[in-house]
Amino acid sequence: MTGYIRPLHRLSRSDEPNFGGKSANLGELLAADIPVPPGFAISTEAFHAFVHDAGLEDRISSALANLSPGDVDGIGHASHAISEAMRFAPVPAALREQIAEHYANLGEDSPPVAVRSSAVGEDSQDATFAGQQETYLWVRGTEHVCDAVRDCWVSLYSPPAISYRARLGEVERAAAMGVTVQLMVDAEISGVMFTCNPVSGDPSMVAVNASWGLGLAVVGGEVTPDDFLVSKVTREVVREHIHPKDVQYVPDPDGKGAVRVAVDGERRAARSLEQADLERLVDVARRIERYFGCHQDIEWALPRGETERVLIVQTRPVTAISKKPDKPKPASAMSLIMSTFGAGPPKDA
Amino acid sequence: MATTAPKAGAFPSPYEIETPPGCEGWEEMYPYYALFDERRRETDENRFWFWNSMHFPMPMPAFDVICIDSPYQAVGAWQNRVFAVPPAMGIDYRCINGYIYISGNPVTDPEKIAERAQFFQQRAGYYFQNWSELYGKWRAKMEALIRELGELEVPDLPEYEPDEVAFGDDRNTAFYEVLDAYPRALRLGDMMWQHHFEFLLLGYGAYGTFVEFCKGHLPDIPDQHIAQMVAGIDVLLFRPDAELRRLARLAIETGVDEAFQQGRSPAEIDAELAETEPGRSWLEELEKVKDPWFNMATGDGLYHYYRSWLDDPSIPYASLIGHISALGAGEQIDRPTDEIRRERDRLAEEYGSLLDDESRSSFDDLLNLSRTVFPYVEEHKFFCDYWFLTRWWNKIREFGELLARNDFIEDSEDVFQLSRYEVASALDELVLTWATGGLPLGPKHWPPIAARRKEILRKLGEWTPPPAVGVTPDAVTDPMTIMLWGVTTERVQEWARQQDGGSVLNGAAASPGVIEGIARVVRSVDQIGDVRDGEILVCGSTSPAWAPIFSKIKATVTDVGGVMSHAAIVAREYGLPAVVGTGRATAAIRTGQTIRVDGSEGTVTVL
Repeated sequence: MTGYIRPLHRLSRSDEPNFGGKSANLGELLAADIPVPPGFAISTEAFHAFVHDAGLEDRISSALANLSPGDVDGIGHASHAISEAMRFAPVPAALREQIAEHYANLGEDSPPVAVRSSAVGEDSQDATFAGQQETYLWVRGTEHVCDAVRDCWVSLYSPPAISYRARLGEVERAAAMGVTVQLMVDAEISGVMFTCNPVSGDPSMVAVNASWGLGLAVVGGEVTPDDFLVSKVTREVVREHIHPKDVQYVPDPDGKGAVRVAVDGERRAARSLEQADLERLVDVARRIERYFGCHQDIEWALPRGETERVLIVQTRPVTAISKKPDKPKPASAMSLIMSTFGAGPPKDA
Repeated sequence: MATTAPKAGAFPSPYEIETPPGCEGWEEMYPYYALFDERRRETDENRFWFWNSMHFPMPMPAFDVICIDSPYQAVGAWQNRVFAVPPAMGIDYRCINGYIYISGNPVTDPEKIAERAQFFQQRAGYYFQNWSELYGKWRAKMEALIRELGELEVPDLPEYEPDEVAFGDDRNTAFYEVLDAYPRALRLGDMMWQHHFEFLLLGYGAYGTFVEFCKGHLPDIPDQHIAQMVAGIDVLLFRPDAELRRLARLAIETGVDEAFQQGRSPAEIDAELAETEPGRSWLEELEKVKDPWFNMATGDGLYHYYRSWLDDPSIPYASLIGHISALGAGEQIDRPTDEIRRERDRLAEEYGSLLDDESRSSFDDLLNLSRTVFPYVEEHKFFCDYWFLTRWWNKIREFGELLARNDFIEDSEDVFQLSRYEVASALDELVLTWATGGLPLGPKHWPPIAARRKEILRKLGEWTPPPAVGVTPDAVTDPMTIMLWGVTTERVQEWARQQDGGSVLNGAAASPGVIEGIARVVRSVDQIGDVRDGEILVCGSTSPAWAPIFSKIKATVTDVGGVMSHAAIVAREYGLPAVVGTGRATAAIRTGQTIRVDGSEGTVTVL
């Protein structure tokens, strides 16, 4: 049996078809010496083996037969039938063994990991529609990792995911998904950053959102994060808005999963990132942007007790950048000056 | 030029503004054409006028009106008649309660605009292509003009004309000399204003285009980064303070620094220095620096009371004391020019590299042109507004002394309470009665007029003018209004909203940082002595002469000015938060109030 699993540092962009975009990108980040928590990637082949071994192929295709995108009830029923079947199917023993082996390599005493779906062949925005953004945090122990991996697979057949593929006319195409398993960062502060200002389109800015605890609260939109706009050129904060951050996700004290808790009174309104933190984040953002050659949407975390370490847990291309409508067209200095004085073609011509 | 539908309501009508009590008759100080007159009410009431508090923050003394007329004559001549800026002719001004409101004259006919564009492209193009050469000639012209002003003599009226008049060839009598000298003095002033505006529009236009380009492509770029990329390094305007730093160091090296005690007057310091040999050599060194570097004005130069450092050394001496104490504390006081140059080139390179190739080449082009024009933009103030103008006011003062010696006015300074025509008239009577030996009426006529006007001006100074009058335009489209005053559509809408009151003022974010503190409202430069350490300066605008107080204050707020205004530039140098162009900070904020200045967002909040 071939390996279903590869350590993240052995992946590159070309592995995207087999391991999904998220895993491949993390491999690229490691190649670029960007600090990424260690982990491993599970290939799409593992998913196929799972479906095959459990004899689910026919059940899946019959449940999906003749569905139309608008058939809400039909999609709901299909989703339910497939999910139930998958949930009770075993993870193939060979895969389980490999997971156990790679998981053990991440550390002793069942280290907590994040298990995330790693979409194939779709850009990130589509992946969101396709429901392929499942994340299970603070998972511990091989059994629970295997369960989380299976839950990621199940998410391929959530109603929105089916509906999305139906709209593309691909409802019956064999869907596939990779899974990323990564050592969990117990983040004291975490958030996302863009290597441009996605609102204004300014490429000289890094836009940073930050809040307390694990990244879930920011990514899931459960808090209004602190909002910083930092110049790439001078690393100074050009604008900032500090918001009250009422809730955060922290590891469950029982040692499994993440729980949502209230943030202590004073800390709510406190500034989450200091200048030095922002400078470190901007430096990493610039390295990532340079490496990929396009604007990136990056999830980051600062570990509890050592917030001077920036860890990157995910990066993907920025898909939507607004363009300023009145951006002056490139032209000779003289013709631009002429239009300043109303002596040339109008600016928006 | 877009058509703008007038909208009434937000700002008061210029015809409905009341005269403050005790100021009745203020109109007599100003020319008939400067007033909101019933005979053109229909037109004037339906225009948008904004208070030019950048240049005229205080009510105008009668004589100083010449510094409204001449600049607007000059700027209009270049803008409208030489370069023919297509959509904008010149600027009209009117006076309300002594304060100056201005309004641009648009060109709206598309055919006319196209016709003017032909002229503009050719003529402005010529200037841009030959900028450095033309600017070199300009400097020579200005230096010659300043020399000519220095050579202009204001004659006295002797009991008997000297023998040369009787026995020499081509000698003039004093009556002719006086009547000849006065209009010549006025004419030299006009000449300066003509020079002043020759390059100004084009210089600001080139820079403004670069700013717009940067903001289009890099919408969040801090204004000061744009300025840093363009600003000159060894700019003339930095020389005066550089010389003071050198003198401060010299004082320490030669051991005479003890003389520079806080609270001592320049005269007291000089007296102590004169007692020792090293002190005397330091004073000699100071003399060498004074010409030309002490030709700095203590204000923006448009009022007669903004004297030069030569006339009022308290400002440079305050700087000297500051520099010496900073050096004593082991601080680095030099402008790190190498570092500034490296940073300027680094910013330009980094920002350029963030643009695509095509935009990059426009960016580089505009940046180069902006750097070419910038010496003029920065230096014309030194030549025109400071060096020439402070000396020119002194020349007028000499006529004041002549009138005062003959009791036409009580004090030579009172000459500025008379209009330039009234001064001509007073001089006429003076030389007439000098010649005839008759009894002059002037000593009975002028002193009460001057006294009354000083009182009116004092009271007008306590009145707060609205930021604008007349109709609110839907859009400000006049490129000159936007470029030179920073009065944009948004700014006007903000002013209109603020007419209802409100505790947040908006302006341009000129220097980043947020700070809270006690406000000190300073209406004119002679009040800067009132500013206490750690206060926030709230003023109409500042000029290089205000430099010493920037080391005392912790933030700056101005009524008028853009990110290239003096207050903005200096605030950035000192790392102080600054919000400029709020329109009404001096009106809305009172000394002693606690305010928050957000120089990153451009807001000022009264707490």
